[in-house]
Amino acid sequence: MFHWLEKNPFLFAVGVFVVIAFAGLVEILPSFTNAARPIKGLKPYTVLELAGKEVYKKDNCIACHSQLIRPFKAETDRYGKYSLSGEYAYDRPFLWGSKRTGPDLHRVGNYRTPDWHANHMWDPKSVVPASIMPAYKHQFKNLADLETAYAEAVTVKKVFNTPYGDDIQPSKAAFEKYYKEKALPEALKIAKAMKNKDVLAMVQQGKIPEIVALIAYLEHLK
Amino acid sequence: MNSFVVKALVLAGVLIVGTLVVIKQMHVDLSDPVNMITFLGAIAIAVLAFGVAAKYMGQMKTDTATGELAEENWDGIGEYKNELPAGWAYSFLGVMIWAIWYFLWGYPLNAYSQIGEYNQEVKNYNKKFEAIHKNASPEVLKEMGESIFLVQCAPCHGETGDGLSGKAQDFEHRMSKKQVLAVLKSGQHQLMYPLGAMPAGLASGQQAEEVAAYVAGGMKGKAPAAWATCAGCHGQDGTGNGGTAPNLKTYDVTLVQHVLKHGKTGIIGHMPAFPGRFTPVQEKALAAYLQTLKQ
Repeated sequence: MFHWLEKNPFLFAVGVFVVIAFAGLVEILPSFTNAARPIKGLKPYTVLELAGKEVYKKDNCIACHSQLIRPFKAETDRYGKYSLSGEYAYDRPFLWGSKRTGPDLHRVGNYRTPDWHANHMWDPKSVVPASIMPAYKHQFKNLADLETAYAEAVTVKKVFNTPYGDDIQPSKAAFEKYYKEKALPEALKIAKAMKNKDVLAMVQQGKIPEIVALIAYLEHLK
Repeated sequence: MNSFVVKALVLAGVLIVGTLVVIKQMHVDLSDPVNMITFLGAIAIAVLAFGVAAKYMGQMKTDTATGELAEENWDGIGEYKNELPAGWAYSFLGVMIWAIWYFLWGYPLNAYSQIGEYNQEVKNYNKKFEAIHKNASPEVLKEMGESIFLVQCAPCHGETGDGLSGKAQDFEHRMSKKQVLAVLKSGQHQLMYPLGAMPAGLASGQQAEEVAAYVAGGMKGKAPAAWATCAGCHGQDGTGNGGTAPNLKTYDVTLVQHVLKHGKTGIIGHMPAFPGRFTPVQEKALAAYLQTLKQ
């Protein structure tokens, strides 16, 4: 019955390809396109938050902390709602992580406050006595690199059409205007909530230490 | 029956006896349907595998190939044009029909969902949890409250609930004098109790000092005259008029529920809201545990 098919190996190969491609079309593409879209209400990172994300990468938080809550009851009980792939639409790269020496951080903005983070990054054992996390005191002194973060925002706005406003423009003057009018007030709000006098004084002088950017980023994770 | 079949059935018998020995040794409970089905499946596999193998090995000894040869051959190796055995043919047909259904209907329209499985898991768990702990004893609630507290609350309030020397609310006391004074001065409506907003400036100066000292002291002794204003909403004994206003004496269930639902910002700082994080039983457990922390 199927001898004609066996005698035409090329035709047979095409047939196999069509069948498998159809399966891929039905099973992979719809959920993939759906999942890659940003979820409703997702905001891109502000420049200050992007600078904080750089601190997160630089100090290698990803080595011990994940940012992906799996849909298991044991996880959602502890960390909050399970993660959706559309939530990472503006993460380049995403920071899912693969190891949890410390807890997951994907919803940390829901249940921690800037002053808690400030205490914790200065001396983790002061709030969690059994913690094995090292202190990150240098973040209170080193300044965050807002300029690079601004350049990143300009790039993703142009290349990936990330929905930033007109205040993100490729010029030095635009950056300086943004820094003064947007980034500094945002940093000041965080610094006030941190209750750390030295940090607040630095921000009031127009300098943004890494810890402020990092906390802004962690507060965005909701 | 040829010797192959006899040998195969003996081998299958040995395997079945071996399985029985293991079941006996490991105390497997055969009244559990899953175990029973597994056991019956093992017997079927043993008998079928050896039986079928023996039948065809026996047949190979005597059988000769017959039938009409197909036209094409490969270096002299030919192929008979015999029909497929009926069992194979029907299986193929069945799989083809199933595959068409699965491609066009089964997968795209009725797909398995990971989230669906998660929802089911949570639903089943919560149902079981509520049923088991419907009338939980105070000891069970306290223990449950402690474990929730250590995971969810301790990072800010400290493992002993002391608020880490002023970084968060101190659960060993209900309210400090400073906190009472601050609320009297600014009013309060963050917790959305049914009795509504508490206006600012209900008491001031000496009166406020007296009320604050009275509340912070755990409402012991004689109430100051200005307490009458507070008692209008919070009740004469300060326990919140049956849950319509905040309890000023202990951390009761309604207080825990309202704070978890709305969060709270006070002179210490800000506590985020945890809406929907805990079940009613867990909230009861948290309150039960917080009350044991009180000195």
